[in-house]
Formats: sequence, C-alpha cells, structure tokens
Amino acid sequence: MRRYWLCAFTLFASASWADLPSDPLGSPLWVYNIERYLGQDITLVVDERVGLSVPDFAEDSTQVPLAVNLREFPHKVMKVVTWVDMNPVPHLFTANSTDGQLKLVSLNFRVQQASSVRAAVLDEQGVWHIDSGYVDAAGGGCTAPREVLNNSDWENEFGTLKTGLFSDRGNTRIKASLLHPMDSGMVGNVPAFFVGDVEVRNEASDNLLLTMTLAESAAENPMFVFEFEGGIPHLSIHMKDNNGYQFEGAIGEASP
Amino acid sequence: MSRLRSHHRNIAWLVAAMFWLLAYSSGAGASTKSYNLEAILVADGVWVVAGSTENFSKTNGGNILNTGFIETGEGVVVIDTGPSRRYGEEFRALIESHTSEPIVKVLITHHHPDHAFGSQAFEPNTLYMLDESASLLEQDGEAFSDNMYRMIGDWMRGTEVTVPMNRVQPGLLSLGSRQLRLIAMQGHTGADLVVLDEASGVLFASDMVFFNRSLTTPQTPGLALWRSEIRQLAQLPFSLVVPGHGPVIQDDRAFLQMIDYLTWLDDVLAGSAARGLSASEVIDTAIPERFSEVEGARYELVRTVSHLYADYEKRALNRH
Repeated sequence: MRRYWLCAFTLFASASWADLPSDPLGSPLWVYNIERYLGQDITLVVDERVGLSVPDFAEDSTQVPLAVNLREFPHKVMKVVTWVDMNPVPHLFTANSTDGQLKLVSLNFRVQQASSVRAAVLDEQGVWHIDSGYVDAAGGGCTAPREVLNNSDWENEFGTLKTGLFSDRGNTRIKASLLHPMDSGMVGNVPAFFVGDVEVRNEASDNLLLTMTLAESAAENPMFVFEFEGGIPHLSIHMKDNNGYQFEGAIGEASP
Repeated sequence: MSRLRSHHRNIAWLVAAMFWLLAYSSGAGASTKSYNLEAILVADGVWVVAGSTENFSKTNGGNILNTGFIETGEGVVVIDTGPSRRYGEEFRALIESHTSEPIVKVLITHHHPDHAFGSQAFEPNTLYMLDESASLLEQDGEAFSDNMYRMIGDWMRGTEVTVPMNRVQPGLLSLGSRQLRLIAMQGHTGADLVVLDEASGVLFASDMVFFNRSLTTPQTPGLALWRSEIRQLAQLPFSLVVPGHGPVIQDDRAFLQMIDYLTWLDDVLAGSAARGLSASEVIDTAIPERFSEVEGARYELVRTVSHLYADYEKRALNRH
C-alpha cells in the first residue's frame, strides 16, 4: 500500500514541474528556486535575450557584479527577479518595472560558494523568461565580516548617497551608490541591517518607474544601475532600510 | 559454504590489490612531481630561472614567475623564492649545483605568494624584505596560502607562510665584487623591491614589470602611480630587464608595453565610469589587437574591474 502512495506522490510531484524546461546548467535547485521565487503553475521559457551577465569567477566573493541587460528583449519588462542558487538565502532582488520600460538593472551580490545565478523576467503576457550564468568562487561572501567597519570614519560616511544621470542611445541611465553595511544577519553577533526597498520616480510626472526589493544576497555598499527607455530629464531615487533610515536624492539633467 | 568463503577471500585479495595500487601510484605521483627548474646565465655570475606566463594551475604548480641569483664573490644573493616550499627546495638545490658560494642574502621583492612562499627552504637569517612588504605578508599571508592550496593543490604540501626576519633598506648593497642598487617602489603592491646589478646592468624588475603577460592589480595603490614608476625604471642604466612574469628582454619594450597597457586600463576604467557603465559591461570591453601577445588579458581585466572600478565609479558621481 505504501508503495502505491509513493508512486502516486512521484507522479504528482513530476506532474507539477513537467512543464518547466530543463536547466541548461543542471543545478539540483532549478525547480525548487523557480517555484520559490516565481510561483507554481507558471509559463517559463529559457531565453538568452534576458541578457544576464555575471563573471566566470568571483575575484571578490563579497562583491560580484551582475547585470540584466534587456536591450535585446523584445517584450515589455514587468518584473525582474534574480537569485544565486547556492547562497544561504538565494534571492538577490525583485524589480517591478511599473511602465515596462526597464532596459537594464545591475547590482553586485555576495556568493557563498560556486553557484549558478538566475535572472527571470516577466513579460506583458505573463510569460517568464529565464537566463542563467555560473560563477566559480572560493566563496564565503555571505558570512564574511563587513568591510565598512575597517574604515575609521564609517559613522560619518554611513548613508552617503552619490548619484549620476547618463544618456545612452536615447535611453536614460541612472547610477546610485549608497554607503551601507547591508548586514545580512548571517554573521555572528551582527543583526540584520540592510536596505530592503528602493523606488525610482520620474520627477516631472511623479510616475513611479521602478520599485525594487532587495534580499540577503545583495552586497555591501550597493551600486545600483538602472536604464529606462527614452529620455527622462529629472528623476529621484528613494531607499529605506530595516532600521527606518531613509536615503533619497534628486537626479537632474543627463550629461551629454 | 566453502565456495562462499573462497569468494570472500578473492574479494579481500582484490581490495588489497586495489589499495596497494592506489598507494603505489599516488606515492609515485608525489615523488615525481618536480618543477624541473633550469638556471640561465644572462651575464657573468647572474642567473635567471624562468617560469611560464600562465595563471596558477595544478599542472604548473605555480611556476609562473621569474626568480634569479647573483654570485658576488662573497656569497650568493637570491631574488625571490617561488610559490611553494617545493619550489624553494628545488631552487636552492639548483643554485648550489651552479656555484660553491654560500647563499648570504635572499631578497623577497614583495609579499605575493608566488614570490615569497618558497622561503622555508632558505636559512631564516638570510631572508630579507622591505619593512612594508613584511607587514603586508603578516596581514595577507594566511589568506594567500588558503587560495594557493585551492589553486595548485598538492604542490603546496608543507608550505607555511614565512615572514623574513630581516629588513632591507633601499640604497646600494655592496657585496664582494658587486654593487646592487636596491630601489623601493609602490606601483604593484604598495611595497615593491627592484634590484639593479650595476656591473652587468641586469635589472630584476620583479612584478613592477610584466611582459607579454597581463599585469595584476589586487594591491596596486593606483595605475597612474605605477605608470610614473615605470618611467623611472626606464631611465636606469640597464642592459637586460628580468620582468616578474614573462620573457627577459634587452631593450625597453617591456616598459613601453607596461606604459601602454596601464594607460589603456586607466582610460577604459575612467571612460566607462564617465559613461555610467556597470562593472559587468566593463568586463566585456574589447581588448585592443595590439595586446594580442599579452597573455591573460581578459582574465586579468575581470580581476582589475573588481579591484579598481568602484573607485572610478564613485569619482564620476555627485554627492547629495
């Protein structure tokens, strides 16, 4: 009898992910993390036009660059979700592109050991498109002590926000750097202290261009890069951490 | 029953044979592992031991650098000790096969593992280093060691971080018939020793100079500073340049390549920051055709972006 139950369970389990394409990288966490971050009963295609870019190896396990370059992506971009499969908390960020005009998003992550990395994009028809990369790493990035404490002046520097506005091929790109420890809560005796929410607005229309939630895989002193379709002369960025600190800045006039 | 017992006995024999084979083959593997070092006489009494221009691997055991030694008439001066205890031991045996003079001074040019990890093979009281380099080795040595075990594996067996007990001062070192000009620079790691043998004009530039091998930047205080020091090196009365990595060369081509490459790197980083590029995009920058002979350029660009780009980016942004 027990054997029948086992068979039934196996059938049921396989049916629930039978529709997912197979993992180009063969990670055992492919189905688990897709269901965890994108949900069940979704339509998903493997699509290189998502444009995920990570280096082949992590020179610094606490700061690994990642970009999702959507210039070749033929659909509207409603949402971008990224994660690092083998990290203790894989999630890096979820970005909602409220008007579908997001063309690039970039943020550094930490890596705990060599891992596959994923970027999934939801288009306007409700289809998820996923692209993968693989980063070799000595690891330990998630549980390494923060570096900000090594700087004698960190209390004065904490919260320093620097921004820039750039135009490229008719698109608008912003960059924002925040000095923040982004403590994940995984280092002994250091409680979680990190920026969880980011918003970007078009200052002229007050339209929300992007909302983003960050998770434990995000690196210390985050450097955000966002590119939006078309020219937007005035934007603003707003961030909030889990201790109630808020950081904001207006970003004006693109440099030529 | 008896058939079963004989079956068991056969299996026992098979297992024993397998263990014996394993033990024998791995034992034989370890004992045949050798760097096969050769010393090349580049000037009267001046020798160079040349490594490859590859990256660290379990195949090359980290023999990717150039070391050297100089006979003075009153003892041998050694320049760098290599990536592992095994290299150091083979290097010392090689020196002793070429000269009957004792080894009196071993100069470690900087604190990087490929140059400083063979020191255990030499007498502790012969080991010398710049003061700042010794502090850096104290600070970074164990982390370097972990990484070296990861990269070259068994070649590192028995290697322990050894900080030289003696300090070397910049200036003239007179020994026997030789005057060695010791120059302290900073471009590569913040504390880099360069050695010029005034009699022969052989310049041991160590990792201040890479030739046909991409330079590495994990501890550089800045590309512009490094470039200005290369210009100083080019003014020295040299006859032969021994780079830290890459072939020895008799003219100034290694300096020109270094200046060109450092300028290109600086321009790529500054230009990308001015355009608002993300680190991921900078990693994909096209490498100019003229650097096609520079081995490892793409790999080192990925590393350099990781080491240096964040500072360039921050300088290109406005503070709120």
